[in-house]
Amino acid sequence: MHALLKNTLVGTAALLIASSTAVAQVGLTSNVATVSLTATKNATLTVTPNASTATLGSITDNSNVNLFTPVSLTTAWNLTAGSSVSLVGWFATPAQALANGTDLIPSSKVEGRINSAGYAPFTSGPFSGLGVAGGSLQFFAQSVGAGSYLGSRTDQLDLRLNLVGTTTVAGDYTGTLNLQAIVQ
Amino acid sequence: MWYSKLVLIPVALSVMLTLGAPELSAQARIISLTATSASGLSVLVTSGAIQALPAVTDNAVNNFPSPVVIQTTWSVKPGQTNTVNLIAYFAVPAQAMVGPTTQIPSSRILGRMTTGLPVAFTPMTQNGFGAFGTAGGTLRLYTVNITGSNKNATRTDNLDLRLNLVGFPALQAGSYTGVLNVRAVTQ
Repeated sequence: MHALLKNTLVGTAALLIASSTAVAQVGLTSNVATVSLTATKNATLTVTPNASTATLGSITDNSNVNLFTPVSLTTAWNLTAGSSVSLVGWFATPAQALANGTDLIPSSKVEGRINSAGYAPFTSGPFSGLGVAGGSLQFFAQSVGAGSYLGSRTDQLDLRLNLVGTTTVAGDYTGTLNLQAIVQ
Repeated sequence: MWYSKLVLIPVALSVMLTLGAPELSAQARIISLTATSASGLSVLVTSGAIQALPAVTDNAVNNFPSPVVIQTTWSVKPGQTNTVNLIAYFAVPAQAMVGPTTQIPSSRILGRMTTGLPVAFTPMTQNGFGAFGTAGGTLRLYTVNITGSNKNATRTDNLDLRLNLVGFPALQAGSYTGVLNVRAVTQ
């Protein structure tokens, strides 16, 4: 009788052990493998005019009221460093900003402004390596920092010919104004 | 006659030995033998453990260039294990990838396992699987029913990842980093 009781207890214990083993296996977990993810957003700086052509329908000699159609410029930046964003305009050959064959208008006779500020001729530069000597004009230099590394601004660019003291030969005068932004 | 004596001697000895043997028998003892092979479950990323997107495009779907190749190995008991499951999850779903000023949530990171459950790209927004994974930052990749035939098995799957920035605010330039956890769990 004693042996029977002993065997019963041993058997019960064995069943309990087996049962507990089964429960433990449910919920078995592996090691944690990891995958490292890196996505890089590259820095960008763009200038986008809303029109590629500015026109002046009729030149008036000896006047500064020779206004080209305005151009809207959007400067956008997404930076990781730097303290300012500047926008510069320039003519590649200042002595020939606009040309009508051999009749030339120098960049000193072309003036620009943004957002109704005062007009200034394209006679400066270069600015931080942008532009050419005597044919450039800086439109703005905006401070940026950690809180403003992602931003944009839109400005109206007004251009005019200041022909005070100048008489032009009839014809079409064409030229190219370069616009470029830089981070410093 | 002399040989009859030779024959009788061993017979007599045999009788004596038989008569002399005690009628005792030892009590049977049973020794139970148990050898336990421990269950095993492991996950190994055999390639693609480092994923890099060199040039993220805003407002677009950005695919990570190569799959994450995941090898799962298990040795389990069919009567005690119903399924083997593989999950992927981010520890902090709201900050799956952390950048200079912006965090990319796990809802923007999609996974696909064509040999598993999410055969199409699916955001990592599921709740945890049992006690594992994180609420809102998990994706169950597959579930395998365990039978006698696959109680010891290894399988290899490709996990494709993508970053969906459609409609997401433009990211500031810089690096966005995160860690995707991959784990197998039995049920």
